[in-house]
This record gives sequence, structure tokens and C-alpha cells, in this order.
Amino acid sequence: MIRRVLIANRSEIALRIIRTCREMGIETVAVYSEADRDSLPVELADQAICIGPPAPKESYLYYQQILSAALSSACDAIHPGYGFLAENAIFAEACEAVKLTFIGPPAGIIRKMGDKTLARKIMKKANIPIVPGSDGPIANISVLNEEAERIGYPLLIKAAGGGGGRGMRVVMEEKELAGAYQQAVNEAQNAFADGRVYIERYLINPKHLEVQVLIDKQGNGVHLYERDCSIQRRHQKLIEESPSVCLQETERQSLCQTALAAMSTLGYSSVGTVEFLWDPLSREFYFMEVNTRIQVEHPVSEMITGIDLVRFQLEVANNKALPFAQKDLQKWGHAIECRINAEDHRQNFRPSPGKMTRFTVPGGPGVRVDTAAQCGSTIQPYYDSLIAKLICWGEDRPKAIVRMNRALYEFRIEGIPTSIPLCQWVLSQPEFLDGSYSTHFLDAHMNEVSHV
Amino acid sequence: MFKLFPSCPACHSTHFIAFLKKDLYRCNRCGHLMRISARRRLGMLLDKGSFKPMAEPLVTTDPLVFPDYHDKLLEARKRTGLGDAIIAGTGRIAGMDLALAILDSHFIMASMGAYVGEAICQLIDLAIERRYPVVITICSGGARMQEGIISLMQMAKTAASIAQLQDHRLPYFAVLTDPTTGGVTASFAMLADVIIAEKGSLIGFAGPRVIAQTIGQDLPQGFQKAEFLLEHGMVDMVLDRHEIRAALENLLMLHKTRPYFHQRSPYERRS
Repeated sequence: MIRRVLIANRSEIALRIIRTCREMGIETVAVYSEADRDSLPVELADQAICIGPPAPKESYLYYQQILSAALSSACDAIHPGYGFLAENAIFAEACEAVKLTFIGPPAGIIRKMGDKTLARKIMKKANIPIVPGSDGPIANISVLNEEAERIGYPLLIKAAGGGGGRGMRVVMEEKELAGAYQQAVNEAQNAFADGRVYIERYLINPKHLEVQVLIDKQGNGVHLYERDCSIQRRHQKLIEESPSVCLQETERQSLCQTALAAMSTLGYSSVGTVEFLWDPLSREFYFMEVNTRIQVEHPVSEMITGIDLVRFQLEVANNKALPFAQKDLQKWGHAIECRINAEDHRQNFRPSPGKMTRFTVPGGPGVRVDTAAQCGSTIQPYYDSLIAKLICWGEDRPKAIVRMNRALYEFRIEGIPTSIPLCQWVLSQPEFLDGSYSTHFLDAHMNEVSHV
Repeated sequence: MFKLFPSCPACHSTHFIAFLKKDLYRCNRCGHLMRISARRRLGMLLDKGSFKPMAEPLVTTDPLVFPDYHDKLLEARKRTGLGDAIIAGTGRIAGMDLALAILDSHFIMASMGAYVGEAICQLIDLAIERRYPVVITICSGGARMQEGIISLMQMAKTAASIAQLQDHRLPYFAVLTDPTTGGVTASFAMLADVIIAEKGSLIGFAGPRVIAQTIGQDLPQGFQKAEFLLEHGMVDMVLDRHEIRAALENLLMLHKTRPYFHQRSPYERRS
């Protein structure tokens, strides 16, 4: 039975966890770095322990400090939130070793899903479609031609040894293949000292869809429908919504059921997300990865189902069975989340930390703001730039968009540039309004974005 | 003894064993490199599953009937599961063959007796036969005093063996780790073509305390540490533990057996 939880995180997610714990009658212990001394979670938790200087490596990633804080304050569980140590299998093991409950899936599963290639292999075995591609690195030109023939065009050549877009080439048709391959190999060799590349099908305008699942330790699981997180830049999401406009009801059922079935056979427990790429041309979905944590955008699913995900994360950690089945769950209406970041999109999304001289949050029906910021508080340069999450609910998508526009208008932050104007701009774009936007949306509009 | 939460001998911070393994037994607080067993180091250096151990060169005996030596040997063998303070054999780094020996400080401080000397010589013979480059990862308290003159003889013997290796134009790379001292420093450790030292390791002949007492002076800051030796031209590079495999990979690549290696050396032609 969990009676006291240490929250190994900061800012809005720490506060989010404290709120649910308080409702459940669970005591909370916040940990904080010297930079977060005056933050809201530190004030609202039952206890707070300073664990080191501002640099994450010296505080929120300093697992020894966090474990000893948990033990010395007599906690019986650790909630890792997202980021930092949330998907660190060894940290989960370390918690087990000192008899602390790690609030999340078993360490073995975190490890398997953390290895992206292994995760794809496992999912392939469980009959989840993955983006068609070569099984391993391409050995030579003749293998390349064979594999390209099998997979079909357009193709993407990717470096096996790294990421960040280097060693990456899009090949639209066969005659470009050999040249692009050579370029990709050279680039990968120069960037990562590893010339191995593999190929996969290139999806022209894919959508990023993810399914929220919730499974207890007894093996009962439900899904909380999908989220469309295609408004993103370099895998940093900006706007998320649920349900996705692009799916028909049968497609939605098949996507969500597939995700849930895969996670159940895996032996997963706790909350988790299965990420997919969705190809609007073939209307097929492909597995990308599993997130073994509570996600930033979880409130979107909470808003349309009425389920408190953090609550059931704690209940599952307590070995409680879920009190409801899939048939008891109903989605109602539409929810959109905008991430309000301290980032200057006019200057290539440069982080813009600093002191906020005005911070007025929106309110009214159907509006939820998750934030740990207050007027006068400072956005720290050491951590991610998320200031607040603004979530709006409406009976249908148009109403949710109108409400989001109203709430963004009310949201007043002065002192630092934020992503509010950018969110307003995205919400006015025809591609957003008709729901046809893809993951390339922000990159394709970079010129306009920099003038918003 | 197995500890789930061992502490760093330098800064006393506590570590979870699984994190420590992932960090190659490097303290994430102070950067101190902890002493590790030969088997563990083997796993860090070689391609997985590529190691083929050599047959045991001999069985260590107690020629001088030195007090307690026999019991000490039995105890160390039982505790480490090794024949003596060295593992030798062949393996691969990034697919490149090499002859490799690793000394283990958990076995009577990896001191060099007849066994260690013979293992090194046999390894070099094997390397010459197969034309493999040689890598030796070294730590040692020096010659094994319990074997008296026999252990001192190993210095000349290993040095001669390395001269042979050079006659056959095969490269020899040494990785000096904490601590590399005494007769081992004075023989095969310092004879390598390229000498890599692990960060912060103590490398010397006599220990700093002995020297300070002998010369009656204070020793300079960082005396006999790897970085100090680099500054004074005794070693070629000082690397952190996770960089060593990549450095060896580069060196092996550079010295990959080329046709001219197969020519007989001038020395051989004369004889």
C-alpha cells in the first residue's frame, strides 16, 4: 500500500502528481534543485527535499540523491513523471533493490522498449505493422536494389549509427537510388564514423497518432483512444488533439485495439503510449515506439474520457485491478492541448528563459491549465522550456477550436516570448481546420512561422 | 564480496551496481575509475563472444617454499577462478584479430611470477605464428617476491619476447591501468609501441612513498599519475575507460597487417 510518494520531477508534472496524491490521501515528498527552491510543487508537497545544484546531472538525474531522499523521508514509492529518470530501466531496478515501488511498468519492459530496434522486432513478432524496411544495414549495392524493389518507393535512407537528420536521404524514384545511397553513406561516415545505412519506406504526409493505454497487473487493460500529435518540430510536439479527425470509426477501433492487444501480450502494466505513423494515402498505420511513462499530453485523453490517468497509475502500482472495462469507457467531445513554451519561434525556436512579469491564465468552462508557473516566477534555462499546458474541451472539434482561440486570447504572459502567438497562428491555418495537417506541417511553413 | 550499492573508493559516493556496470565502473560523481577484474575488462574491450583463451602455460608452484605462499595461491585461485594473475588468448575488436592478455589485480595484486611471464611469452609466440597484433592490459604490483629470482627472471624473458615481436614487425599496444608498478613497469609495460594509460592510474617503478623517503624531498603534485607521465613523455595517451576500445580499434586499423608485414625482417635475414 502506497502511503507516501516521492516525486522525482519538477514543474507542472510534479504538481500534477501532487494534486492526484492529495485527492487520494497519499502524502507527497517533492525533490528540487537549488533553482526550483521557490516553485509551486515545493510549496504544495507535504515535504520537500533539496537534492543539489541546478544542472539536471547534479539534481534530477542524480539518482543516488533521489533514492536517499526517498529512503530518509520514509517514502514507499517513487513517481518519475516524464523525462529525467522516467524511462531509465536501471533506475527502476535500483528502486526495486531498495524496496521502493517504481510507479510505472516493470523494469524489464522499460529496457526492451528503450531499445528502439528491439522494440520494433518485438512488435513485428506480435503482428503489429511496422514501416516496411530492410531488416538491418545494407551491405552493398545489389542488396540495396533488391531491398528497394521489395519495399517500394518513395524510400528513406537512414544512418544506423545516429540521428538528427544526418546521413538521411529521401529517394523518390529508382534512378536516384544509387547516388543518394552513396551520399548517405559518406555523410554517415563523416558524421558518426559509421557508414552503415538502412532503408525504409518514406511516408509522404504521415500523421503522428498515438494510443493511450492503461493496463493493471492482473492483465485487464483499456485504451483511452488516440491522440493526434502531428503538429511538431524535431519530435517536439506543440499541439495535440483527440480524437483524430482523420480516422473513421472502424479504423479507430482497429488502431486502438491493435495497440492494446500488443501491450497486453507484452505483459505491460501501468499507463503507456504506443506511437504510430499513419499514412493518409494507404490509410495504414505503422508502429514507431512505445513510451513507458505518463506523457506530457495525457490531459487530452483525460478530458475526453473523464479518467484521471495518474490516479490509476498509482492504483495499478498498488496492485489494484481496474474498476472498469473498455465497454464502460466512453469518449465524449473533442479536446485540444497547446503547449505554451518559453521559445522564440521567430528565432528558430531558441529557448527564451527568463522572468515573467505578467502571468494571467485563462479560465471558464472546458478550459484546463496545467502549470507550476505564477506571476513573477522564472523559467529556468537548465530544463525544458514548457511553461504551461492549455487544454480545451468542446462537444465537437469546431467548438473546441473556438474555445482554444478564446483561451489563448485570455492567456497573458509578459516578460518573455512564448509560443502563444504560434499556437494561435496554427489554429487559424486551413490545414489545421480541416485536419489534413501532417508531421511536416511546421517544417513546411518555417518561413511563415518565423514571422508570426 | 558482491555489493548491490558499492561506494567509490575516491569520493565515497554510493552507486547502484547496474548503473556502475553501464558506466564501466567509472564513478559518475568524481570520474574515478574503479579497479575491475580481468574478465570484466575483457567484456569491455573485445567483440562479444570472440575471446578464445590460450591453454594454461603452466601451474604456479612454490619453488622457495615461501611462508604462506601456497595457501595464498589456493585462496586467490578459488576466489578469482583464475590460474594466476593473467588471462591470455585471442579475440577480435571490430572484427580485427588480435592476441590479448589482461592482468587481474585481484590475484595477489597481479604480481608477475613464472606463470604470468610464461603466459606473455606464449601469447607473443602465438601472435608471431598467426601474425596478430598484441594488446596487453596491464596492472601489477611488480615482480612476485614469493618466487624470488624466478620472478625477476621474467622481466628479461618477457623483454626478449617483445624484441622478437618487433623483429617480426608486429605492433604491440599496452594499456596501463591502476596500478602499474615495479618489475612489470620495468619490463613489458614500457616496451610497447604505443602506450595508453587509463586516466588517473598510478604508474611507476618504486612507489611514491618509498621515493619521498629515499630522496628526502616532497614529490611534485600528481607525481606518477598517468597525466604526469604524459606530460613527461613516458606514455603516449591518457584516456578515459570508455575511450580505450575505440582507440585500440583505430590503432589496429592503422596497423592492420599489410603485405610488408609478411616480409622477413632484416634481423631474421642476418641470422
